[in-house]
Amino acid sequence: MSSETPGAGLGSDDDDMERGPLGRWVDSAIKNPDRVYRAMFYVAMLFFLVTTLFPFYWLLVLALTPNNLIANMGLVPKGFNPEVFVAMFERVPFHLYMFNSFVLGITTTVLVLLIASLAGYVFGRLRFPGKGVLMLGILAISYFPPAAFLIPLFELFTGNTAISIGMVTISTPDLFNTPAPMVFPFSALFLPLSIFILTTFYGQIPDGLEDAARVEGTTRLGALFRVIVPLSAPGVATAGVLTFISVYNEFFFSFLMNNGEADSWAPIVAGILKYQGQFDTPYNLMAAASIVGVLPVAILVIIAQERIVSGLTAGALKE
Amino acid sequence: MATEQQSGETFSDTQRSGPYASAVNWMESLSETQFAYLLLTPALVLLGVIAVYPLVSTFSMSLFADQLTGSARLGEFVGLQNYVDLFTGARNYALPSQFLPTFSSEFPFVTNIYASALAVTLIFTVFSVLFETLIGFGQALILDQDFRGRRWVRVAIIIPWAVPIVIQGMIWYLMFQPNIGFLVGTSQNPALLNQLGLIGTTPLRNTADALFLIIVADVWKTSAFMALLILAGMQSIDRSLYDVAKVAGASRWQQFKLITFPLILPTVLVAMLFRTIDAMRVYGIIQTMAGCQTVPSLSCLVVTTFNTPLYGTSATVAFVTAGIIAVVVSVYIVNFASEGL
Repeated sequence: MSSETPGAGLGSDDDDMERGPLGRWVDSAIKNPDRVYRAMFYVAMLFFLVTTLFPFYWLLVLALTPNNLIANMGLVPKGFNPEVFVAMFERVPFHLYMFNSFVLGITTTVLVLLIASLAGYVFGRLRFPGKGVLMLGILAISYFPPAAFLIPLFELFTGNTAISIGMVTISTPDLFNTPAPMVFPFSALFLPLSIFILTTFYGQIPDGLEDAARVEGTTRLGALFRVIVPLSAPGVATAGVLTFISVYNEFFFSFLMNNGEADSWAPIVAGILKYQGQFDTPYNLMAAASIVGVLPVAILVIIAQERIVSGLTAGALKE
Repeated sequence: MATEQQSGETFSDTQRSGPYASAVNWMESLSETQFAYLLLTPALVLLGVIAVYPLVSTFSMSLFADQLTGSARLGEFVGLQNYVDLFTGARNYALPSQFLPTFSSEFPFVTNIYASALAVTLIFTVFSVLFETLIGFGQALILDQDFRGRRWVRVAIIIPWAVPIVIQGMIWYLMFQPNIGFLVGTSQNPALLNQLGLIGTTPLRNTADALFLIIVADVWKTSAFMALLILAGMQSIDRSLYDVAKVAGASRWQQFKLITFPLILPTVLVAMLFRTIDAMRVYGIIQTMAGCQTVPSLSCLVVTTFNTPLYGTSATVAFVTAGIIAVVVSVYIVNFASEGL
């Protein structure tokens, strides 16, 4: 790449002796622009690494500093207090909130993968009237703000919605403070992304494989779950990872659809916010809880990096 | 893997009897269209109950007056009066007074709560999407290069995207809470950002400062998303175009300007539209960093009025918010449909 630079070597090299190292570098940079590009590249990379990672380092600084010393902090912790990672669980049962988040995330992921598998099979492999309209409709629905669904869903899940069937009017059950008021909205919110990822993957399986299974006597659903889904394992994994991370990160329904107590299935949103006390503000515990709360998704990103990248780009740029 | 499992089980399917077998037979006898709609039923029911029904219900609630007392949440039918009141500013009386005063001191031209929430939302959307695109572009250019440790740089850039919103809010709250760190100083001992005039000494309690920091926090978290989409666009460009350009003597800047940029522009526009739609829903980061009283966005207004509880007003704001986003979505769909689905 560097060899074709026009003009390199035309200038005289004799002046090098009279200049300092910087002058020589500038001189060679003018002759050879690739060195400038490389320097710019490293500066930019360093800039992005520092800006993305500094906030995490700041959490560590605050977590390790005892709370009474947190004031006018510089770049290093004042003291070393690893016990904070024990103290944070004593003040708020953060492990229970994390457990709730995991249960909500896994339940939603299973539900979404099941429903999206059926829908992805339909959109990816079948031809029928109304297909384009339905896909656009599902896409459009997913872009409405959660705020537009809030009041009716709250009324629905707190048992204040009456359903009339003929002469009989029944009230919906009060499901508030169970996982249901969160799992169903999460599922609806993140279903479209999984549908589009799975549509892409299922659509790529050759027809011959499905036909062969059908000739052998497999049912239609059997062909989907025994042939198409296993062959699309990377796609299913991608949709699953993205759904889990989305649920773990969700704020709106996580915050509003429970009373904020760990035994009412409140997820980490409520756990993190609970550290703000009435009489004190334990900054070190807040920082420690944030670190612990980020760990599961950070690990997931490191393990499933390729899946996340392909899923985000496939889901968003459906072409 | 699949074929081994399947060979043992294929026959059992057809040999079972009873309701299962009749269900299978019934399913096998359906036409392709019928089968398609059968499989779509769970998805359509879920979206119908959780999205379509609430949307319709929100609209019908917005036609009723607020009712603060009694067991019923809604008062009498008032037609479009809620919308009229909202746009003319006549609805201020019913709301927590913080919305207007905090905001009007910073932006005196904003005269009613709805307009102030709309202004906050639009300022947030425009600036966050703009800077996310620019920074995402820079990150994508870095990740497009071949270098050692690229995988780990990519992890470092993606991780903020995976941070839960509540923790994102907590991180930035802890960075800009006065007296904690070096980023915010006091009036006697101002920090660098104070001296530059970017933020005051209590930035999270001041609407303009808090909005600025919320935009920065959002850019920190979401640039990676833009970067990944732009990177995917870059990597789908035919590399031979660059070989031709080099033979023709094009500089790197010319290669970027004449090949990379025009070819990824459609991708960037689609990604920006996605982010715009997402940014207009902003709520969680505001709630955790500064609170809805300081920085009232449209979603904040919905939740605050819902908690009061002013169901009629809340439903009206919610439906208007949905309407604004629907306009943006329809731009996308028209664009999408014209490209040929």
